[in-house]
Amino acid sequence: MGKKVEMDCLNLNDSDFTCQLLFFIWLKIGGTSFGGGAVTQYLIQENFIYKHKWITAEEYANIIGMCQITPGINIIAYTILIGKRLAGWRGIILSVLGLILPSVVITIMISAIYANISQYPEVQSGLRTAFAAIFGVSLATNWRNVKPILLQNKKRGSLAFAVVLAILFGSGLIYIFLDVPVVILYLFGGACGAFSYRYISKRKQEV
Amino acid sequence: MSWFLFFWVVLKAILFSTGGFGPLPALHADFIANGWATEQQFAEALSIGQITPGPNGLWVVSLCYLVAGIPGAIMSAIALIMPPFFVVLVQYCYARINHISTIQGILDGVVLVISSFTVIVLAGVFKNSGIDVTLLIIAAVSAILAATRRVSVNLILIVAALFGAMFGGQ
Repeated sequence: MGKKVEMDCLNLNDSDFTCQLLFFIWLKIGGTSFGGGAVTQYLIQENFIYKHKWITAEEYANIIGMCQITPGINIIAYTILIGKRLAGWRGIILSVLGLILPSVVITIMISAIYANISQYPEVQSGLRTAFAAIFGVSLATNWRNVKPILLQNKKRGSLAFAVVLAILFGSGLIYIFLDVPVVILYLFGGACGAFSYRYISKRKQEV
Repeated sequence: MSWFLFFWVVLKAILFSTGGFGPLPALHADFIANGWATEQQFAEALSIGQITPGPNGLWVVSLCYLVAGIPGAIMSAIALIMPPFFVVLVQYCYARINHISTIQGILDGVVLVISSFTVIVLAGVFKNSGIDVTLLIIAAVSAILAATRRVSVNLILIVAALFGAMFGGQ
């Protein structure tokens, strides 16, 4: 298994990859991503796409898509696929343990403390401003998620670009004004994307 | 309380849902019906899940700790880890059909919807928590700093929380 992992590591074309570093990075994300899922996602992007460049923004966008049709917490599914991409099953185990161990321990500790101090106004006010910052970070995180899709479709032509913009803003407007279930929105986005990509691909073949 | 039943109730709620807050309706119905948790414990666990590190879904660990101590928290953590392994199967299928442009279109379409939906849901929570000019400025500055990657996101959150605790608690 060791040899197999080394081979996977070599495929990354990146000399700084080791399984120890992979575990350490997840441990750091799991222990420092205060602010929940938005911050965790941001740190995943920051470490794996921008800092170490072990996965591309396009690969990450695919991972997000696949994880939406998987039961349970999406970020654990991201962790599984990133770990698998980088070091096979060993990578999965190291990544999941690295993310979950510190975050679960800290969650238990904070749960124990929070119940005793939640009545203080300073705590409530600190939580409100922290949530404002979390909302701001989530804007940056989601922009990073949609950016590669928007750029790719801008290159494909005005029709493709118009369709992805329509999905992005249309789904938001449908949710706000019609209050439809999220599953319907997923189907809407998936169907629009499928028809658009298929139509453009067919047109290219005809040309 | 049977530990086996407890584990099954948590696992079932996670297995038949997706996303961090997906298990909320099923867990709420079962925990309240069984008398395992109160509404107050749900509210506390959801708040804690927003500030602790890791995925939002760890609010389930917080809830299970509040109602069943350390053994409950460990059981819920195991139940949270198991269902996402289905993604390996999803990826196996995807690898065989990803050359079809339609499949890529579906995935990209879903990602666009999720991003739009996530921002709207968080904006709703933000608005309901009592929005004002200071909070809007904090959100805008945090978004710019995070997007430009000039400041660590942990530092952004710590400064924001300290600012609120010092100037907003009176």
